[in-house]
Amino acid sequence: MNRRLTNVNMWTVSAAIIMILLFLPNLTIVTGIFTPANENWAHMKEFVLGSFIKTSLILISATALLTIMIGLSLAWLIAQYQFPLRGFLKWALVLPLSIPPFIGAYTYHGIVNYTGVIQTTLRDRFGIELNPSFFDIMNLPGAVFIYTMFLYPYVYTITRIFLSQQSASLIESARMLGKGPWRTFIQVVIPISRVSIIGGASLVVLEVLNDYGVVKYYGIQTFTTAIFQTWFGLGDIESSIKLAASLMGFVILILMIEKLLRGRRQYSYSTTKVRPLPLIQLKGWKATVVTGYGLFILSLGFFIPIAQLIDWMILTYGKIPMGEFLTYVKNSVTVAGISASVIILFALIVGNFSRLVHGRIVKLLPKLTILGYSIPGAVIAVAVVTAFIALDRFLSPIYQLIGLSTTLVLSVSLIMLISAYIIRFFAIGYNSIESGYDKIGTDFRDASRLLGVGLTKTFFKVDVPMLKGAIVSGFVIVFIDILKEIPLTLILRPFNFDTLSTKAFQYASDEKIMEASQASLLIVGISAFAIVVFYKFLEKEQN
Amino acid sequence: MFISIKNVCFSYPNTEKPALDQFSMDIEKGEVISILGRSGSGKSTILRLLAGLEKPTKGSLTIQDEVVFDTRTFLQPEKRGIGMVFQDYALFPHMTVSENILFGLFQMKKAEKKKRLQEVLELVELQEFEKRYPHQLSGGQQQRVAIARAIAPNPHLILLDEPFSNLDAELQVKIRKDLREILKKANITSIFVTHDENDAHALADRIVKLKDGCIDLIGRPCDLLGVHPNLTSPVIPAIEERELVSV
Repeated sequence: MNRRLTNVNMWTVSAAIIMILLFLPNLTIVTGIFTPANENWAHMKEFVLGSFIKTSLILISATALLTIMIGLSLAWLIAQYQFPLRGFLKWALVLPLSIPPFIGAYTYHGIVNYTGVIQTTLRDRFGIELNPSFFDIMNLPGAVFIYTMFLYPYVYTITRIFLSQQSASLIESARMLGKGPWRTFIQVVIPISRVSIIGGASLVVLEVLNDYGVVKYYGIQTFTTAIFQTWFGLGDIESSIKLAASLMGFVILILMIEKLLRGRRQYSYSTTKVRPLPLIQLKGWKATVVTGYGLFILSLGFFIPIAQLIDWMILTYGKIPMGEFLTYVKNSVTVAGISASVIILFALIVGNFSRLVHGRIVKLLPKLTILGYSIPGAVIAVAVVTAFIALDRFLSPIYQLIGLSTTLVLSVSLIMLISAYIIRFFAIGYNSIESGYDKIGTDFRDASRLLGVGLTKTFFKVDVPMLKGAIVSGFVIVFIDILKEIPLTLILRPFNFDTLSTKAFQYASDEKIMEASQASLLIVGISAFAIVVFYKFLEKEQN
Repeated sequence: MFISIKNVCFSYPNTEKPALDQFSMDIEKGEVISILGRSGSGKSTILRLLAGLEKPTKGSLTIQDEVVFDTRTFLQPEKRGIGMVFQDYALFPHMTVSENILFGLFQMKKAEKKKRLQEVLELVELQEFEKRYPHQLSGGQQQRVAIARAIAPNPHLILLDEPFSNLDAELQVKIRKDLREILKKANITSIFVTHDENDAHALADRIVKLKDGCIDLIGRPCDLLGVHPNLTSPVIPAIEERELVSV
C-alpha cells in the first residue's frame, strides 16, 4: 500500500469520520427549514419572531458596546501604564470569566432585591426606604449589565495580549508626531487593535445568543428561551427546529458582519524586530483614578458576587446533604472530563489530518466542524436529539434482538449529552491544538519520517510530547466551559442526572438562591483556579 | 547511475509558476552535489521531492535502481532510506543528543545501537555531549548533532538544506571543512542546497546552479570559476581551494 500513489491512510479515514459525525447533526436543523410549517409556527412567525429578533439585537449590541468600552480601556491602561496594583489587576481582571452569567444574575438579584443586603442596610441602618422598582434588575438593562460584567474579559484578554505585543515604535512615532495620549489611543491604538476588539466582541455576542440562564431567570424572551418553551411547553419539536434554524441564520448573519467589519485590516509588521511597549509611570491622582477604575470593575465582576455567595454558603451550610452534593461534583467532573478528553483526541486527529493534506478545500473542512461553537447550545440540543432519535429508530431491530423492551436507548443516555458537548465545544479544543501544530511546524515530523519512523509512531513519539502545552491548555478551557454549561445539559441530561450547574440553576429558579451558593462557589472556584493556571501558562509560553 | 532525476515538474498549491520545470540530472555514488541558487529558484524543492515530502506533478525519481516516484509509484519518506539535515536542524527538543541520534536506529539490536551511537558521536566529535538537550548546545554543535542523527541509520543519500545559514561567518568556515571531511569519511552521497557560492565551492564535487526551476549551469567547481562573475577564487580560503583541486 505504501508504494501506491495514494493519500488515503488511517489519519484521513479517522478525520473524515470525525468531521462527518460533528457536522451531520447540524444538517438536521438546515433540513428542518424545509419541512411544512404547522399552526404554532405560523403564529410565532406572525406575532413573536419579530420581538425575539428585536430583543436579541438590543441585548447583543448593548453588551458588545459596553464590553468593548470596558475591555479595551482596561487593556490599554494595563498595556501602557504603570500604576499601583497593576501586576495584580493584569491577571485578576480575567477572573469574572469564572462566574457563569446565570450565577451572576441570581446573585445580583439577591443583592439588590427587597430582602437583599443593600435595601435591608438602607432600611435598618439608615432608615431610608426607597422605591423597590429603583432596584429592579430583572429586565433588559439588568441582563445587559450582567453580561457586560461577566463577559468583558473576552475583549480585555484578547486586546491586552495584542497590545502587549505591539511595537513601541508605533506609539512613540505617534507621540513624536505631536499626538497626546488620548489622540494616540484614538488614532493609532484603536485602528491597529480593531481585529482583536471585534474578535473579542464577537465571542461576547455568541455567548449572549447562546445563554439561557440569565434570560430565563430575568424573564426575557429570546430565541433560546423560545426554543425551550416551544419544545417543552408546547411539545412542538418541529417549530423548535424552525426557531433553531432562524437563530442559526441570525448567527451566520452576525458572523458575516464580523467578517465584513474585520475586512482586510490584518496589519502586520514590516520588520521582525518588535520592541515591546515601555510602561509609562502614572503618579498622583491619575494613578489613584486608574487603580480605582480597575478595582471597581473587578469588584462588580468578581469580589461583590463572590462575597455574597460566601455569605449565603455560610448561612445554608449543612442544609444540603453532603452525599447528594458529592454526586453532583462527580457527575460534573465525569461528563466534563470524558467530553474534554474525547474533544482533545478528535482535535489531535483532525489537526494532524489538516497539516498532512494539501489543497485549500480539504483544509477548509476542519473549519466547518468548528462552526459548532457559533451555534447556540439550544440549537445543537435540537439537532442532537433529532439525530439520536433517528439513530435509535434505525437500531431498534438490534435492540429487539438483544431483548430490550424500549426503542429509545441512546437518546436517553449520557452518550447523547456527551456527543452534544463534543459538537458544541470541539472548536475550543481544536483551536488550541491547531495553534500548537502551527507552532511546532512540520520539520520535526519530516525529520522523524526521514529517519524511517512511520506517521503514527511519529505522532506519538514526536508530535504528542511537543504538543503537551496545547493539549493541557485545550483540555482545561473545554473542561471549564462544560462545567459552566447550562442549556445543553438541561435539555439532554438523562432522567435524574444533575450536575453542579444544573443544580445551581434549579435552586435559583426555585427561588432557593441561598442553597444555590454552594454549587455555584464550587463551579467558580474550579473555573477560577483553572483560568489563573491557564493564564499564567499562556504568559510563560509567550515569553 | 546512483540517483536519476528525469523530467521532474512541480508546482506549489495555488501558484501558477512551476517551482521546478522539466528538471533532470544524474548523480554518481559518493558524490557531493551542491545546488546553488537564489531564494525561490526551486533548490529546496529538489530536496523535498527526493525525500518524499512533496510529490512531483510529472517525471520520475530513481535511487539506487529503485523507482521511488513515477506515475504509478510513490514511496513514503520513511521507506526511502534518505537522511536529511534541516535548515533549522529540527532536533527534537524533548530528547537528549543521544536520544535524537538513537531515534532512527529502532531496527538495530541494543548492542548495535550503542556501537553506532559511539561511532557517529566520535565522527562529529561530540562524545561528551550525549546527555545534553539541544538547547544546551551551541549552533555549531546542534548542526553536528543533526548531521550525526541523519547519517546514523546509514542512509543511501544525505540531503542538507542550507546547513550553514544559522551559523556565524567564522564558524561557517570551520564547519564546512568538518562537514566535507565527515561526508567523505562516511562515503555517503550527499546533496546540499545553499545560496552561498563559497559554501558550494568549498564542499561540492559538482555544482548545479538553478534559475527559475531550471538548470542554469552545471559542472565541477573549478570549471565554473571563470563562468560566473561572482565566483572568484580570492573569496575562498587557500586550504579549501587545494581540496577542490584534488576532487
